[in-house]
Amino acid sequence: MDNIAGTKSSLTWAVHISVVLLVALWLFPTVGLLVSSFRTADQIATSGWWSALGTQKRQEPAIRVEGDQVQEGDVYVIHGELFPVADAKVSAWGTSSREPEAYEPGQTVDIGDGDTLTVSESGAYTLTSPESLEGKRLPRIFSTAATPPEFTFANYRNVLFSSTAAAGVGQSFVNTLTVAIPATIIPILVAAFAAYALAWMEFPGRSLLVAAVVALLVVPLQLALIPLLQFHNAIGIGKSYLGVWMAHTGFGLPLAIYLLRNYMVGLPRDIIECAKVDGASDFQIFTKIVLPLSFPALASFAIFQFLWTWNDLLVALVFLGTDDQRLVLTARLVNLLGSRGGQWEILASSAFVSIAVPLIVFFTMQRYLVRGLLAGSVK
Amino acid sequence: MRPHLMAAAAGLAICAGMAGAQSLKFPIGEGDFNWGSYDEFKSGHDLSGQTLSIFGPWRGDDQALIETVLAYFTEATGVNISYASSENYEQQIVIDTEAGSAPNIAILPQPGLIQNLVSKGFVTPLPDGTADWLRENYAAGESWVKLSTFKGPDGVDRIYAFPYKIDVKSLVWYVPENFEDAGYEVPTTMEELKALTEQIAADGETPWCIGLGSGGATGWPATDWVEDMMLRTQPPEVYDEWTTNEIPFNDPRVVEAIDEFGWFAKNDAFVAGGAGVVATTDFRDSPKGLFASPPQCYMHHQASFIPTFFPEGVQMGVDADFFYFPAYESKDLGSPVLGAGTLAFITKDSPAAQAFIEFLETPIAHEIWMAQTGFLTPFTGANADLYGDSTLKKLGKILTDATTFRFDGSDLMPAGVGAGSFWTGMVNYVGGASAEDVATQIQSSWDALK
Amino acid sequence: MNPALQGVITIIVGVGGCIGYFFLSNLVLDKFVFPPVGKHAGRNINRANLVRPWLFLLPAVIALGLYLAYPVVATFWLSLTDRDAGGAFVGAANYVQMMNEPKFWEAIRNNMLWLIVVPAAATAFGLIAAQLTDRIAWGNIAKSLIFMPMAISFVGASVIWKLIYDTRPADQDQIGVLNAIWVGLGGDPQTWLTIPFWNNFFLMVVLIWIQTGFAMVILSAALRGIPEETVEAAIVDGAGPFQIFFKIKVPQIMGTIVVVWTTITLVVLKIFDIVLAMTNGQWGTQVLANYMYDKLFRSFDWGVGSASAMVIMLLVMPILIWNVRTVRKEMR
Repeated sequence: MDNIAGTKSSLTWAVHISVVLLVALWLFPTVGLLVSSFRTADQIATSGWWSALGTQKRQEPAIRVEGDQVQEGDVYVIHGELFPVADAKVSAWGTSSREPEAYEPGQTVDIGDGDTLTVSESGAYTLTSPESLEGKRLPRIFSTAATPPEFTFANYRNVLFSSTAAAGVGQSFVNTLTVAIPATIIPILVAAFAAYALAWMEFPGRSLLVAAVVALLVVPLQLALIPLLQFHNAIGIGKSYLGVWMAHTGFGLPLAIYLLRNYMVGLPRDIIECAKVDGASDFQIFTKIVLPLSFPALASFAIFQFLWTWNDLLVALVFLGTDDQRLVLTARLVNLLGSRGGQWEILASSAFVSIAVPLIVFFTMQRYLVRGLLAGSVK
Repeated sequence: MRPHLMAAAAGLAICAGMAGAQSLKFPIGEGDFNWGSYDEFKSGHDLSGQTLSIFGPWRGDDQALIETVLAYFTEATGVNISYASSENYEQQIVIDTEAGSAPNIAILPQPGLIQNLVSKGFVTPLPDGTADWLRENYAAGESWVKLSTFKGPDGVDRIYAFPYKIDVKSLVWYVPENFEDAGYEVPTTMEELKALTEQIAADGETPWCIGLGSGGATGWPATDWVEDMMLRTQPPEVYDEWTTNEIPFNDPRVVEAIDEFGWFAKNDAFVAGGAGVVATTDFRDSPKGLFASPPQCYMHHQASFIPTFFPEGVQMGVDADFFYFPAYESKDLGSPVLGAGTLAFITKDSPAAQAFIEFLETPIAHEIWMAQTGFLTPFTGANADLYGDSTLKKLGKILTDATTFRFDGSDLMPAGVGAGSFWTGMVNYVGGASAEDVATQIQSSWDALK
Repeated sequence: MNPALQGVITIIVGVGGCIGYFFLSNLVLDKFVFPPVGKHAGRNINRANLVRPWLFLLPAVIALGLYLAYPVVATFWLSLTDRDAGGAFVGAANYVQMMNEPKFWEAIRNNMLWLIVVPAAATAFGLIAAQLTDRIAWGNIAKSLIFMPMAISFVGASVIWKLIYDTRPADQDQIGVLNAIWVGLGGDPQTWLTIPFWNNFFLMVVLIWIQTGFAMVILSAALRGIPEETVEAAIVDGAGPFQIFFKIKVPQIMGTIVVVWTTITLVVLKIFDIVLAMTNGQWGTQVLANYMYDKLFRSFDWGVGSASAMVIMLLVMPILIWNVRTVRKEMR
């Protein structure tokens, strides 16, 4: 950045460039995932996602000759295409894994038993044989070809419409919303009152309570799962939406209280004291003054809490259960991966399916965030 | 509000159940299935209106497969089944049983975990006749009885779990045409396999693809190697003593087996990418090297599930095939087979749960899945002709030709070892640590559990 | 009934119930219990003001106590007992066993590294991002893009970064960006996640990447809250942009910076998803939370698992004391 104060335009440029760099750096990993989500599993496993953007010259995996034979004169012939979809350009080919680049395109080669094979530059091949090819194992063709970028929607189709998913994804979407919305609103409401009390009301033990809230922030979730599920079973809630809402409320509260209290403490003291002098009760001060002024903080915490409940897998599985009717989106998508997991193409596309709603929420809420902030600064 | 809700949920469940019933995969009465066993089971069990919750390890395509089997149970008994699974099913089942919201039936692949649940009293013992049934109807029945027997909370051994669906692990996958192109023969003894490995390396090629990466479970594929080597260097009794820690993990015989694995995996010339990448290569990506052009490797040691991770379009039996991971000719230990499998057990007893275990004893419960894909069974009463493809048939033959069958040792060990220090120890081993050091570390972690 | 409908009803009942509780309890307090009228009016107002904070706090205290404090107490008890021996009291035996495990000390060392690096880096990047994006027209778009990783689950994030750190043998195309660049510059492919010590930093990058968005949003709100006059006064005095930022703005939002720092520190203490998914604590990357998870759900060793949880909670002590002191200061 430019160090000379006053050279305003160069400084502005430096800011723009720095932000572009920062955004690029932060976006880069996600872009990789996005591009990967439009590639097949084999493509992801064999070449970098950035190479998918341009024409690629590489050795293709072996492709076996297939198709129906036709009799042409006294020979049997099979015609086919190596790359029926892509617009590829073959530069060399072969029939043995040891010599995958033995022949030029257009060359006609004797592959034994009197059979001949030729592969053209466009990837069209012709296999001829003096005898019927019925029931015979057909040769493999190894090729080195330049292929243009190739993208597929198959992963998204798999995630959204495959037979194992189709019935469930929509339902799970609704389930997740059902979990996330109450689990976002209720803790905020409860926390707002508590935060006000901890910020603006005088009572013994206040600092101790704040300390307790901070201490509880660090409680690892895993510890709480078994005792709380036991508790839910004991009071008859069992595994239900009510249980998962309560759990999210409990787990989200410490951070909500902590963030909101710190925001409320920063509100101008004179406004609140004026109101007190005017005879307003704490309840009135809270609802009429503090709450509207805290809107930005409430909105930003709402975003965080919504993101956490939306992305949560553990709490939902434990407190809502794995029942098919109530499965949340994250759990559904994880199950799509199959018993042994690890399918990056599904992971990539499902990550973008599940990220869609949080992003929409963020973009819409952001406008309110800005508005709330402006209102707050005119104090 | 609540009763109303329950009724609605039940209504939904019934609809789902009916939808399942209408789409039976194979029409009853057609084909070579043992429909007699189905009818007999059906006549003895009318449990309409009851529900059964099953928690299993199968997700994705496997879930669709198990649900085709469950549909017949529903059709026969009228029981509504809700099947569920989860990515971290070990954690899920522990939490659910501890908190008192267990499913009726749980199906898990880890005997070590089941032992844990059994000793805490969360599992209902199976009926007395189950041991005899397994002995009579499962090939190598005695070894299955042993697998299903757990020490109860009172210290008494009983049958607690029913083995259903197994995987064969002692397999080497290869591309037949790559072997032909290079003029290699399928080895039938371990001596030949080692000679072939050396020959491929001498030809300037790479013989093996080995990948141990598996996220949180990184290292497990190496435990299969070591177990296979254990069965090929020592009699099965030593294997049993090893998995129960009657001989320590750092016994010279175990160390030898680890080093047998190291002979393959710790040699830069024998492994694609060199020994350094073995630990980080994902086990699901690893077999793809067989099909690359030019081939990155010629052989891959993995269980019968691995074709799922072959590139798209690979045709089993044509583009890829497997051979039995051979035994040493010189050691005269027969042909041992290593396998794994899932065990069903009752975590919340009910008539429907009992009926489900009985259902697993009918041939039809096995045949429905056999006739599709990815299912092997030692049940001799099931019609082996029904296997969905030639690969399964061939796998079935390896299973029946076995002179010794042993269950995956790491699953038999306590979870802290078999799903913990054994995995991490193997990662350290391929990373350069010596077999003695690694084995001693694993033993000390085992001691800490006692 | 449709669960969505049930959800709507719950929101209405829940929110209405909350508001109703706060409103009615205040009403009851003011009108019936301690009405500020009659001969005890003054005393009643004082009494009511003593009780009122607790009315405001009650729902939160109940929820916190039940959902967080109670499990902590239960955990503390578990850490002193041996479950396999029927829950017998064993004193510090679990702690002793834990102290004797090298993996535990490795986790402590790594946690310290994480605690130093991640909150500092995420807060610093967040502050830079907040300050810079506030000055430009397309700042909101830039903010949204930097914030985006927050919306990706930890599992998703682990997948993204595994793809970046991926290693292929030297003779193949690299599919990981980092290795592609490294090989492009003439290096040999590296297995980044197994390089001792430095692999910790490769894992930390993931969390920094995620948490910067959080820091940015909170800090940006604070920056906008700074009164214009102070900044304008500084400009009139001839302060440069750097001086304004470091001497005027940063001190004014120091409180918020500390809050952000604290929050990220607490996230770091609990982080285990990233480590579990990427290395599972192998190659010297173990952290306390993953160690605890391992003990609880892999080894079923609840004694040691609970003991390590207590250690995590102990590490928060300095932050705790510091927060108590600030609150005390505010009260004066």
